[in-house]
Amino acid sequence: MKDLRFYLLTALGLAVFPFVFHLPLINGYGGLAIQILIVSIATIGFNLLLGYAGLLSYGHAAFYGAGSYAAALALLRVFPQVHSFALALFFGIIVATLAAAIIGALVVRLYGIYFALLTVAFAQMIYFIVFQWRDVTRGDDGLQGIAAPMLNFGFAKLDLATTLPAFPLGPFGDLSDVKYWYIFVAIILILVLAFVRTLNRSQFGEVLGAIRENEERSVFVGFDPRRYKYAAFVISGALCGLSGALRVLYEGSTGTDSLTIDQSGNFVIYTVVGGVQTLFGPVVGTGLIMWLQNVISAKTEAWRLIEGAIFVAVIIFLPSGIIGTFAKKTFSLGKVLRTK
Amino acid sequence: MITAQSLLQAALNGLILGMIYVAIAIGLTIIFGMLRLVNFAHGAFYGIGAYVGLVVAKKAGFGAALIVAPLAVALFALALDRIVLRRFYQKEPTAQILLTFGIALMVEEALRMIFGGTTQQYPLPSWLGGSIAMAGLQYPAYHIYLAAAIALVVVAVWLFIRRTNYGLLVRAGIRDRTMVQLLGGNVRLASSIIFALGAALAGLVGVAASPIYSIDPGTGFNFLIPSFVVVVIGGLGSFWGAVLGGIIVGELVSITQLVFPPGADVIIYVVMALVLLFRPQGLLGETEVIKG
Repeated sequence: MKDLRFYLLTALGLAVFPFVFHLPLINGYGGLAIQILIVSIATIGFNLLLGYAGLLSYGHAAFYGAGSYAAALALLRVFPQVHSFALALFFGIIVATLAAAIIGALVVRLYGIYFALLTVAFAQMIYFIVFQWRDVTRGDDGLQGIAAPMLNFGFAKLDLATTLPAFPLGPFGDLSDVKYWYIFVAIILILVLAFVRTLNRSQFGEVLGAIRENEERSVFVGFDPRRYKYAAFVISGALCGLSGALRVLYEGSTGTDSLTIDQSGNFVIYTVVGGVQTLFGPVVGTGLIMWLQNVISAKTEAWRLIEGAIFVAVIIFLPSGIIGTFAKKTFSLGKVLRTK
Repeated sequence: MITAQSLLQAALNGLILGMIYVAIAIGLTIIFGMLRLVNFAHGAFYGIGAYVGLVVAKKAGFGAALIVAPLAVALFALALDRIVLRRFYQKEPTAQILLTFGIALMVEEALRMIFGGTTQQYPLPSWLGGSIAMAGLQYPAYHIYLAAAIALVVVAVWLFIRRTNYGLLVRAGIRDRTMVQLLGGNVRLASSIIFALGAALAGLVGVAASPIYSIDPGTGFNFLIPSFVVVVIGGLGSFWGAVLGGIIVGELVSITQLVFPPGADVIIYVVMALVLLFRPQGLLGETEVIKG
């Protein structure tokens, strides 16, 4: 029953979101809703590491960027004649997962500041290599004008850029404000949430929590912390890769901005503001900050200052983030929103 | 074409860059040693120093800027320490990194709003200009003065920590904070002094290095990340480690720039990763740090 309620409420929330988002006061738009959902997937992956494994990575842009560059290169250079949506997505995930598998094997033996700095070091290496390797990556011009293939179901093809049929919805705009892209990404997001939720409720999640709270004791009980942290690291990187690949397929371009330390910092900010150790925190944090950025940066140049102030205020006054604080106070909704 | 002369030039450039890293990294490392605080806002101190210095230099000259800017940064750091950071001393490093990262973001953006995002050139007074001839090489005199001045400052800081009563308190505090407090030593005061001193150093370099590297709101953060590389290579909390690490990093960047330009940005991260993997306590770090 609880599972059913989780799926229904999440699906309902995602179905209502683009229309509420469209209200004049909120002033969001369809494209932003899709971007929020795509980036949320990476943030969820990041939180798997920070929230559940207790490891702060400052280099997760590496996997997000790897996924986006791999998907872009799959379409442009590796398999240009196939031009398949699924193949590009798959290739993006595989490359990001491989990168996480290699880097993860090296970083999980470190703790705290050393872990954070080593992830920075690897992310910076990848950034500068992509930046310099102009023949393949076009350097800081980025890869542009990538035509997204249609989604091929075998029996039918769907261009995700088409909109739903027109149907007026009063103040909530029109059904045709939503593209199939939104539905596609929303389904993936639900699957990702369900995956992470299941993972955290499994024995794996329990052990990860035990390691986070007291690593020494988890060793005495007979677990190997490194193996669990490594698994969390790789899964986390894979989710960032999925997000990066989706970004390329949706936007048709990627660039070195996807690999910067600023991008890594964004995942940190989104997660902390939304709430670490919560399932929906990363989604809410990503949505809130990206939306605020969109609204505020149009009006004033002070956006980044405001973002920094929000971030610092959350760290000092709401250390469990928006969802974390909210979930402790209310019971009915809180139980759904919290992971456990 | 790599000649003996271009190599000498690169080595000199590397030394200058390295000395700037040394001055920033010393602050980072003594703050970490004393306060156990991982300070991602250290680049912001550089930035504030550089911009305050710019304003003062235009009004009252470069010499005044060298005095006023570090004082201003030290005051800012003291206020920051009293109001915000103090609550985070005892928290885990992750929380400290997040907090100081947020503060760094805010300072960088505040500087961008006040002074604009464009790169600003720094006025260099004529008495510091000119060039020095050495080994068939014309080298800007200011670069040499800067390196020598930083060397003097480093020795002064070392003497302060080693030879004064405050320094004694600081070293005792690093060893055993609680015991010093029980014996009536004012660890809070010592902590504040070290934090302000480290910040003032970054502010001083912000003024002194800007005639060479110019300044924009992101410069501080751009210096911060390599400075962390320096501290990690030398050993977090190690004074002479920061000095050694700074010179190594400066030379690595500069020599690679000459030999294989595309690798200049990557090389320091490769070396940092190698150090973290094979000698996580750094070249001159003594304590076992892999844990915690």
